[in-house]
Amino acid sequence: METTEVIEEGGNITVERAGEETRKLLFNNGLCAACGLCEEICPVEAIETNPTGAMIRTEQETSKITIDEGKCVLCGMCSSICPFQALDLQIDGTSIKEIPGYPQLIKSAEIDENECINCKACETACPQDAITITRELPKRKDLVTGEIEIDKDTCIYCGICEEMCPADAIEITHEEPTSINPVIASDINVDEDKCVHCGICKRVCPVDAIMQVCRICPYGEYEIELEPEITGTSYIDPELCVNCGWCQEICPVDAAKVTKPFEGELILDEEKCQGCETCVMVCPCNVLSFPKPEKVGDKPEKLHKDETFCIYCGACERSCPVDAITVKRKSINYTPTKSKAWQNAFESLTK
Amino acid sequence: MAIELKAYPDLCHGCGNCVVACPVNALRSSEIAGGKGPTDEVEVIMVVEDGAINIKNSDLCGKCGTCVESCPVDAIRLEESE
Repeated sequence: METTEVIEEGGNITVERAGEETRKLLFNNGLCAACGLCEEICPVEAIETNPTGAMIRTEQETSKITIDEGKCVLCGMCSSICPFQALDLQIDGTSIKEIPGYPQLIKSAEIDENECINCKACETACPQDAITITRELPKRKDLVTGEIEIDKDTCIYCGICEEMCPADAIEITHEEPTSINPVIASDINVDEDKCVHCGICKRVCPVDAIMQVCRICPYGEYEIELEPEITGTSYIDPELCVNCGWCQEICPVDAAKVTKPFEGELILDEEKCQGCETCVMVCPCNVLSFPKPEKVGDKPEKLHKDETFCIYCGACERSCPVDAITVKRKSINYTPTKSKAWQNAFESLTK
Repeated sequence: MAIELKAYPDLCHGCGNCVVACPVNALRSSEIAGGKGPTDEVEVIMVVEDGAINIKNSDLCGKCGTCVESCPVDAIRLEESE
């Protein structure tokens, strides 16, 4: 039974072994964060992770990891531990993530559609661009009510109302005056779907040609019955999501819920840190950032962390050229397994 | 097949950006951390000599890519060894 390896352009890798059952290990280079967890868990030292900083920060043609097909036993431990969905072991075409008995990382991210108000905060904050909020806004004209009328006989077509209308609701049909038709415009109309009855046009008209009334203004703070309905749907791409928790933290109505695969501690050594920014760039979860001084002369902390967003994958520690970062993984959330070997493999990644 | 630090002295303009940007150099040499070329004997990864980059101790390199980003002429790279 020979194990074969195919490395595609773009860095994806397939390692395959046929036999009584076909085992296929698929590596997706685009999803990989070069965190090194697969290398750490591999029981036969078949995986080597390329330098994290170099892989993320500089252009590289090679894959982020290398798999030695001569050593790989296609056990699937790398596939089970990868928090980025970059590795997948398939047995006879079925991912071991679907096969009971194989331990799975317990991780999830969900948005409760009943609670979600479609504000898109999560979509904006998601470091992996994994979230899409599709929202339908109410029509502007359904939120206002009023009357507007332009007396076309009085109108001198100066265009001032058209220029000032904040809703672009006024349209004048401008003309090039000729001796046959000595006019500067032939028509003026208000698009009532756009008009918000603000009254600017009426107040600015030099010849008082516009009549306009807002029916809401007289009520002041008393709301009259105009119910805006904002509808929407949310989608979290399960391949891109890294369960960092940004959506949960940033959501103003607690509609997002995230379960992280690992727990631990992130320790920064400010003395050693030289501010090279490698960790900031490699972190798939936007945990790290450089604080800016509030005013000239202020000395803020060198490197800022917020562990709320950390999944303790270890990419930053691996990337730091001066060993200023320590990631202490304290526990791994995974489904129970009877296999002692797998338990030991998972636990070997905690400190 | 491994990623290694490689200099191209023919392309180098000798600006020294990489020397002072390198976090390993900065940690090892207070002169470099202060933004100038080293005059002492501290072992660092790379220095500018006779107007061009010279890699002295590639084994110290953490392959973070800071120097690569700082170089205006692509004269220092992290690339696969042949």
